Amino acid sequence: MSLTETESVFASIHETALNDLITAFCTDRPRYLVYGSPAFVPVTTVAETAMAAIPFPGVPGGINWRIRLGIPHIDLFTQTDPLPPEFSMGPGEFSGSLDAELCIDCRRLRIDPKPPRPKDLRGDDKPTNPDRPDGHPLSELTCFKLRVFILGHLEHVMASNGEDAVALAVDQVEIVDIKPDELESFLECLLFMILQAVLAEIRLPLRALRAGAFQLVPVVGPLIEDDQIKMRGNL
Amino acid sequence: MAEIIAALDEGGANTLLDTAIALIPTQSSSGSGSLGPFVASYSASASLTNGNVDLIPPDIIRLDDLRVDWNLNFSFGIDLSTILPDFCIPQVCVNIPCVGKVCTPKICIDWPTIAVPVSFSDFVKADADFRLDISLAGGNWKVQAVIVGIPTLQFGATTAALLAAIAAAVTPILLAIPFIGPFLAIVVDTILLAIGIAGLTGFLGPILTPFVSGIKIPLYDQPQLFPVLPAQSAIDPQVDVITDAIAASIAHNGTEDELVLTADISA
Repeated sequence: MSLTETESVFASIHETALNDLITAFCTDRPRYLVYGSPAFVPVTTVAETAMAAIPFPGVPGGINWRIRLGIPHIDLFTQTDPLPPEFSMGPGEFSGSLDAELCIDCRRLRIDPKPPRPKDLRGDDKPTNPDRPDGHPLSELTCFKLRVFILGHLEHVMASNGEDAVALAVDQVEIVDIKPDELESFLECLLFMILQAVLAEIRLPLRALRAGAFQLVPVVGPLIEDDQIKMRGNL
Repeated sequence: MAEIIAALDEGGANTLLDTAIALIPTQSSSGSGSLGPFVASYSASASLTNGNVDLIPPDIIRLDDLRVDWNLNFSFGIDLSTILPDFCIPQVCVNIPCVGKVCTPKICIDWPTIAVPVSFSDFVKADADFRLDISLAGGNWKVQAVIVGIPTLQFGATTAALLAAIAAAVTPILLAIPFIGPFLAIVVDTILLAIGIAGLTGFLGPILTPFVSGIKIPLYDQPQLFPVLPAQSAIDPQVDVITDAIAASIAHNGTEDELVLTADISA
């Protein structure tokens, strides 16, 4: 069978090169992997993306948080990397794994002894309760790290500059061995939403997938098979 | 296994070469050559049009009927001394008494060279083999199809009309010369007829062959530091990968011959 089959142009990229492209994206634009509220990330830079704190009544400035993701490692069908037993990768799919670190700024709050008043009448009143030496620290960075597995498929999208591109669409997330099961499900759902959004932003132009060789107007694909993304089309 | 593979079938290669050859700018040259007893200084220009592509493993692209459209402006020099005998008034000496011997100088008429401008356009075709050439120079990876050897030019039937064009330009000028003009016109036209197609192709071949013999057709030209995404803002800089290796070949896959380009990259 010819590479081009019934079309004029063929292009393919092996998963090792795909991972090189993803690594290049994440290295040159690390802010796509690091998000945090003002206590962690005061302003968006190349390195980090500033987000709002989680507002909550009685928590001045809201709950500050940060999430740091590792560079995802992608395995295109057929399966090469080991997967959790819950996952089974089929034709046209990819799997991936990455580290995720979630942190919050865990603060001890002081109760204002005065009766609640409208906010604009409070003046400069300070809480009277002094720090208790045997209590929770005033502020403590509390983090945990997870190994996350994903399963997904490719989507044909447009890159930010209007070029034809591919994006990794996440279908499932798996975190191994967290109890109780409801907590695992909760964290999986949280990371499912986060990773869908993050990976959808890593849009790799088809031009880069073929190293700029020839022109290709896709007719067939992008398809995942034989550890590669394959495309066929016309000049 | 190569990390990135791009391939074209023969139809695709034909389209690629159509575009690549059309982008080669018109070439020009100047010089002088001999057409029979006549000398011509010329300026020539030529542009190329793709023929039919035949991919031959492992690394040959054969172009059948590669067309060279050429235009020739030349000044055709007719040295009348080669046609007319030298005409001299011989020296005459007279002995004059009391003066001695007095001689007149020998006077020779030097027949001039008549320059006749002629313009002519036509095309030639050539079958040529090209070999794939890969290079990394100045931070750019290039794959070019470089012509192998010097192809034989196939002149079209209309090229013979160049002789008629020369005759048509020369004859009225020669006829205007008093007394001997008609004689000169007949002689020059006879010489042109004697030069014939063989002499003409011998004249045109060295002028047109360089336009074909040095052809390099660009097939791939990309920076080694390959831009994946352009910079979009101060917080979204350009994304690059390094192309570590490029290879190109003609492969016979299944029932098809394909132009295959492979690349290895790193982050």
